[in-house]
Amino acid sequence: MSGANPDTMRITLKVWRQKDTDAAGSFKTYYLHDVSPDMSFLEMLDVLNDRLIQTGDEPVAFDHDCREGICGMCSLVINGQAHGGDAGTTVCQLHMRRFADGQTIHVEPWRANAFPVVRDLVVDRSAFDRIMAAGGFISVHTGSAPDANAIPIPQETAEQAMDAAACIGCGACVAACPNSAAMLFVSAKVSHLGRLPQGKAEKDRRVVAMVQAMDAEGFGNCTNHFECEAACPKEISVENIATMNREFLVASFRSRDLG
Amino acid sequence: MLRWLGNALSSSIGKKILMALTGLFLVVFLAEHILGNLTLYKDADGTAFNDYKHTLESFGPLLKVAEIGLFAVFAAHIVLALKLALENREARKQKYAVRAHRGKATAASLSMLITGSLVLVYLFKHVVIDFRFNSAYHEAPAATVKETLSKPSNATFYVLAMAILGLHLAHGFRSAFQSIGASHPKLDPLLEIAGTAVAVLFAVGFATFPIYFLFFWTGGAS
Repeated sequence: MSGANPDTMRITLKVWRQKDTDAAGSFKTYYLHDVSPDMSFLEMLDVLNDRLIQTGDEPVAFDHDCREGICGMCSLVINGQAHGGDAGTTVCQLHMRRFADGQTIHVEPWRANAFPVVRDLVVDRSAFDRIMAAGGFISVHTGSAPDANAIPIPQETAEQAMDAAACIGCGACVAACPNSAAMLFVSAKVSHLGRLPQGKAEKDRRVVAMVQAMDAEGFGNCTNHFECEAACPKEISVENIATMNREFLVASFRSRDLG
Repeated sequence: MLRWLGNALSSSIGKKILMALTGLFLVVFLAEHILGNLTLYKDADGTAFNDYKHTLESFGPLLKVAEIGLFAVFAAHIVLALKLALENREARKQKYAVRAHRGKATAASLSMLITGSLVLVYLFKHVVIDFRFNSAYHEAPAATVKETLSKPSNATFYVLAMAILGLHLAHGFRSAFQSIGASHPKLDPLLEIAGTAVAVLFAVGFATFPIYFLFFWTGGAS
């Protein structure tokens, strides 16, 4: 927190710069003297990039899109914490007033083998897309819109499914996990789709396929530190991971697929 | 024929479930072990403990099977732990320059590999040097236990080892339930308490033996 509520803040940034996936990266230090406490973290990076462009330097590449915490694009590890230190927020919702005047801030990309750095702070999260393609969907004939409440769903079930569906697929769970595991992400999808009547039909096939796809991407294993839950901007519960473990076990025995 | 089972168990979740089940089995073994040890407190001359040991041995081949089974569970737990730890290390080749945990990971959860390895070192001394493979122990069980544990160096080693075992259980017991899919808003707070209780009960319970024989035992040490 800024002490004397100054009009502008001085910030020292140590930003990870990496030319491409195969290049070796390193931290580069930037000094900003005119940071407004009301800027979001991404706006502060915009200011830095404006300056870099003016001086003919290469701007810092970072992912962002909606800037209102729902798209899941922004993905920075700030001082060792995915999305910064605030609970239940993404980087775009983090404001500079949360830092002290004169503070040094380390900015790193998500770090996991399954998320290779594309450039600077941008990582390739297509591993998540491949997991989704393996089973993160419901196969139904869409047709015209069905009647509302034609399929009764208990309130509690709907709430639980909605809580899991809040996952924006940003990958903070992987970034925060000491083992780079993707369990929270995959379990949120398994739990979201498997709880609802429309998704139940493919429940067994889905959980097995998604776990196999997750393993194939080289994510780590879960050791129940629950750092993912603490870092998740949508506060997805690790209870979903237990649900996925259970469903995976049951599906493995129940499925008639002998492979 | 059982390819499906192999595939399921060798997956990330399968390995965790095996870790959990072997771990919980070992906790059951610890419970049996500490109950057996309580016979040491029953009388001064160690008759109860010697009888207990003879009763176990009277099972003959069944005891051998149990011992081999126990060894296999230990081995599986250790081999899987190493495999998981190695895979988890591999999953992030480029480490973070700055790392800040958010308060969910604990000293116990982050040190499972270290505490587990130290327990293994302890087991080597406990099983191979001190008791199971020590011929003196089989000739005079209770006397050997008391003599071994009354030595200050041994007693210190045993108490430290039990503290480390407690730390291992503090994460392991609760974690095992999450891994096998037992989580519910009503169950989770109970598991938190049970995890701590199990860790403290076993660490303190087992540590009472070396402490007792070091400080309070007067029954004619060598």
